[in-house]
Amino acid sequence: MNGNRSAQNLIFAVMTVIALFFLLPFIWILLTSLKPEAEVFSRALLPRSLHLENYLLLFHKMPFIQYLQNSVLISAVSVTGVVLSSSLVGYAFGCMTWPGRNFLFYFVIATMMLPMQVTMIPVFVIFTKLGWLNTFKPLTVPMFLGGGAFNIFLMRQFFMTVPASLLDAARIDGCSELGIWWRIVLPLARPALATVAILTFMFTWNDFLTPLIYLSDKAKGTLALGLGQLAGQQQPEWAVLMAASILMMLPVIVLFFLFQKYFIQGFTMSGIKE
Amino acid sequence: MQRQVDYWFVAGVKEDIPPCVALFNAAQESIHVEATPIPWNEHEKKVLTAILSGNPPDVVNLVTPVPKWAARKALVALDPALKADRYDTTEFFPSLWQEMKYRGRTYALPAYTGSYALFYNRRLLREAGLDPDRPPRTWEEVQRCSRRLLRREKGRIVQMGFIPQYGTIETPLIIAFELGARFIDPTGARVTLTAPEVVTAFQWERDFFDLYTVEEVSAFMGGFGYGDQQGFIAEKVALFINDNSFVDQIARYQPGLDYGVAMIPTFGDSPSVSSAGSWWLAIPRGAKNRRDAWSFMKFVVSRETQLREAMNRTETLFPVNRLAANDPAFLAMNPYVRIFTGQMEQTRSKSIVPLVHDIFWREFSLARERSLRGVMPPQQALAQAERTIQAALDRALEYDAYVNARMKIEVFQP
Amino acid sequence: MKRFGQNTLRGYLFASPWIIGFLAFGLYPVFMSFWYSLCQYDVLRIPQFVGLRNYRELLFGDPNFYRAVWNTLFYTLVRTPLVILGSLLLAMIVSKAVRGVRIFRTIYFIPSIISGVILSVLWMWLLNPEYGLINSSLQFFGLKGPLWLIDPRWSKPAIILMSVWSLGGGRMLVFFAAIQNVPQHYYEAVEMDGGGWWARFRHVTLPFISPVLFLWSILEVIGALQVFVEAYVMTKGGPLNSTLFYNLYLYNKAFDDFDMGYASALAWLLFLLAGIITFIQFKVSRKWVYYSGGVEK
Repeated sequence: MNGNRSAQNLIFAVMTVIALFFLLPFIWILLTSLKPEAEVFSRALLPRSLHLENYLLLFHKMPFIQYLQNSVLISAVSVTGVVLSSSLVGYAFGCMTWPGRNFLFYFVIATMMLPMQVTMIPVFVIFTKLGWLNTFKPLTVPMFLGGGAFNIFLMRQFFMTVPASLLDAARIDGCSELGIWWRIVLPLARPALATVAILTFMFTWNDFLTPLIYLSDKAKGTLALGLGQLAGQQQPEWAVLMAASILMMLPVIVLFFLFQKYFIQGFTMSGIKE
Repeated sequence: MQRQVDYWFVAGVKEDIPPCVALFNAAQESIHVEATPIPWNEHEKKVLTAILSGNPPDVVNLVTPVPKWAARKALVALDPALKADRYDTTEFFPSLWQEMKYRGRTYALPAYTGSYALFYNRRLLREAGLDPDRPPRTWEEVQRCSRRLLRREKGRIVQMGFIPQYGTIETPLIIAFELGARFIDPTGARVTLTAPEVVTAFQWERDFFDLYTVEEVSAFMGGFGYGDQQGFIAEKVALFINDNSFVDQIARYQPGLDYGVAMIPTFGDSPSVSSAGSWWLAIPRGAKNRRDAWSFMKFVVSRETQLREAMNRTETLFPVNRLAANDPAFLAMNPYVRIFTGQMEQTRSKSIVPLVHDIFWREFSLARERSLRGVMPPQQALAQAERTIQAALDRALEYDAYVNARMKIEVFQP
Repeated sequence: MKRFGQNTLRGYLFASPWIIGFLAFGLYPVFMSFWYSLCQYDVLRIPQFVGLRNYRELLFGDPNFYRAVWNTLFYTLVRTPLVILGSLLLAMIVSKAVRGVRIFRTIYFIPSIISGVILSVLWMWLLNPEYGLINSSLQFFGLKGPLWLIDPRWSKPAIILMSVWSLGGGRMLVFFAAIQNVPQHYYEAVEMDGGGWWARFRHVTLPFISPVLFLWSILEVIGALQVFVEAYVMTKGGPLNSTLFYNLYLYNKAFDDFDMGYASALAWLLFLLAGIITFIQFKVSRKWVYYSGGVEK
């Protein structure tokens, strides 16, 4: 193994330099969130003194706790829906053979190619007619219905790395498709599931437009909506906006850090004989 | 039992509920106004979807040109109500009132506006050997003063007089207005951007850059920021056209600044012209409580409310009500109000082609950029813009005719 | 024959969530958007059928259209290979078993969580020709930095440069997961044959992650063709329309001009463009993508 010390240290050094570069935006946002408004665009990087009030001001500017609860609810439900349904559909495309499968798969991909700006209004009309306005339903229900072409595509690609022989053996053993999906393929695809979970969480956590047009009650707002309203003023209050961003980023960062263990495949693949 | 009025307003600089709401709720018992701020970005989508869903607020406060919504049947016509109340519409500044109409009907009441004027730095004028009490009154004088006010250090610009592209006012537009340009014919069907006045205005801006290049000035402007980094506040620019709220900004960031305010420069003896639009109030199509909405609207734009709001608001928006603007209490607020009020009488609307407003401004700005950077001569740039705008206008008018034959206009009958 | 029938039923059953979703929320909007592309329509009023006029106008009478296409293609074709290579490199680096690698991965990931709006503001500050960090650093080395976002020649490269902080995001994550998926014993086989790191990469890693690389190249292209936020926040399409990207133009048409018909036509032309590029990618993929398992295509 190439485990000699100098190579390790070199890699560590390189990674540290890269890490400093990637930390820049976060540090900038953090520092800006501690500045008074007038200093935000000054040339100095560091604030002259620490202005923690920006964080407290946030709680006055929006019902932060309420928004937090709503965001957590919507994101958690969405992640569940997406992980479940995209893995099911991805399984159909990646591990099963059936007539029309390829055509349907290309069709799914094709739906990603139409910009949502033009489908947005008819979709809104549908939800209006269903009476789902001012509820969380437009934000969550579609997540259970496939979870989006992107996630299906991702799942399918990962599922296609599972050896066919494994699947066939299970089928011969009398295992149902659902059983194969649940007991064999899903555990093997943990990195894919974790990826989809994190990306979906990020997307729903930060989504501003959908809550904007579907939710009218202030009590139903999300953090992203609150942030968007801060950012959307004609002359935004940047310092407070940055404080809000930091707070919004923290859960995602923590989640990402914790979820990393699902990315390590471990021994599951290598022990299997072809 | 209180009746409720839902009022959506586009959040301005701050999200605070305007004082008029509390004033109205306190002034009577039968109606309660519930005000909701909507974010500035994407506010059009929010209002659009609300109207589409059939459940809009009772009153909206928007800033985009009224015809943009009125032409699309999004607003309720107010003429019968105006007539029944014998409303004195001369209370509003004329150009603002004109903007509320579309095809002979009135769809909104103006509520707030901003008035532009020329800010000049007296200290810098004095240092350049100019009389600090005689700010430039014509564009020729602006040009001459700017030459004297230019200062360089190590080859880079550190101070300038007037920068035509700095700020929110469209300098060539003002100049074109002052030269007498009529951008659109009386029928509203033909756009003329290639009129000599407009070409002259663009050429003037191009010729302004005789002592320096556009790139140099762009780089110089790159050093400007917000707050105390603003070009005029940081005393890098000596002549700057901005609106009345700038007075408060200067007071906040650089209270010791020695400056004055004057009317916008003009050509020779022509009257000075400024441009103005307004934030307006209207009743969307499908609103439920129109009667009370109307009562609220009238209250907001009345002389008393406008005066009280102007004196109390932290962000000073200029009143649309002339009586309020000329009220001695208002004029006494600071030494410059008089100028702003005077200038408001001489404004033209920025919504020159309201039906295709955004297209007009995109093409106009593009033509201006091309002319400034020397990519195209002004005549050619304007000709191309005119073609695009005219084509869009033709289609909009055709569509308008098609729809008017098939959809009816909602009118508020008091 | 019976198995065939059962397979069909099961296949569609598993795929049914998406099918139901599409029939409920996808079919009508897609159909309507195509219908609108044949109309003059502004959402609040009834549509007026005009046939192919929108398409004709776009293709033959709209200088902005071709500008938007060029700007977007430039952005897509330059940026896509760069970010895929960049993220792949980063993914390989974080696959190394170094101490604290979990922290490094998290740090690399953080910028991708930051909202595009805020990142755009940060970049405007960095790219400031007078005092921005980038030009100041160049000055330190004696170079004069360009005007970046104010210069029509540098505005697109500036926006492409902005992608650098996305390198550690979802893209890297997916590549990383794919690299983790590679069976260890293949590496051992190559090493026993005397192969070094390049041989390991070329003969084992690359083929095994090729399905994911392929996935991402398609997604990245589709995404790049729809680039929007940076131009909307920072330049609004300028200077001189050099950053007028397709999706920005579409947005202007749809929500500033409320010309939904024209915008829909723009959308369908983009769809066509994306479809052609994706089709080409699929055809080429047969040559380099290797599926180790799953089922036959």
